[in-house]
Amino acid sequence: MAKLDGKKLLACCANGAGSSLMMENAIKKVMTIYGIKPAELRHCPVSEGKTAARSYDVVFCARTFVKTFDGVEKSGTVLIPLKNVMSAQEIEAALKDAGLLD
Amino acid sequence: MSTVLQTIVEKKHYRFIDGEGVTWQEAIRLSAEPLVADGSVDADYYKQIVACVEKYGPYVVFEHHVAMPHTQENATGAHKTGIGFMVCEKMIDFGEDEDGEKKEANLFFTLSSTNPDEHMSNIQQLSEIFMNDALLDALAAARTPEDILEAEKKYPCEDEF
Repeated sequence: MAKLDGKKLLACCANGAGSSLMMENAIKKVMTIYGIKPAELRHCPVSEGKTAARSYDVVFCARTFVKTFDGVEKSGTVLIPLKNVMSAQEIEAALKDAGLLD
Repeated sequence: MSTVLQTIVEKKHYRFIDGEGVTWQEAIRLSAEPLVADGSVDADYYKQIVACVEKYGPYVVFEHHVAMPHTQENATGAHKTGIGFMVCEKMIDFGEDEDGEKKEANLFFTLSSTNPDEHMSNIQQLSEIFMNDALLDALAAARTPEDILEAEKKYPCEDEF
């Protein structure tokens, strides 16, 4: 079973309307290619993500927003900062680096 | 169904500027003007986008000098889902990002969204466009609406992953 099966994934950006949606689409692509079925995959603004992050297994955000999620790793959440939010390749590589994708 | 670029041309949601000496704040205002012209957004809608970039930095500028200025869905002053497309002959300076990397843009896709389905479709298509370097180069060289359509015909988007 893939490590991300049944996990909860969240994509955050400033407004929850632009780049987080692009991230969600790119993450979906990777999940489809690897046949992974996360329990949840959604996007939201950082203002909401800041508090919601702790209840997710993996949180994706543009690198600009990393500071917003300071300390989130303490609750076991993996933070994946991205340079190019629409790059499925970058998401694939980042998940591999984090040991979440084989 | 029309592609986002065809819709931009059909609705006249485009403009071409020189860009010399234009600030990024002014550029965002100019890129939203075609949306103001047909009532898609109010004249001061752009101010919310400017405030957002001032708050969070130039994260709306992606690779290959593409800017996608936007605010949240159903923002005050947004009445229709649409994209204000603008080509600048000169680069518009957005300052530096958190890594000290210089951010510049000559292509603007300024978003307004009120309809989640249309907005989702726009975002999906823009993701493909933003990853299509040959198309972006051709769009940056566009000076007329016909050039926009020609660029898309010549460099169609395919799912590259």
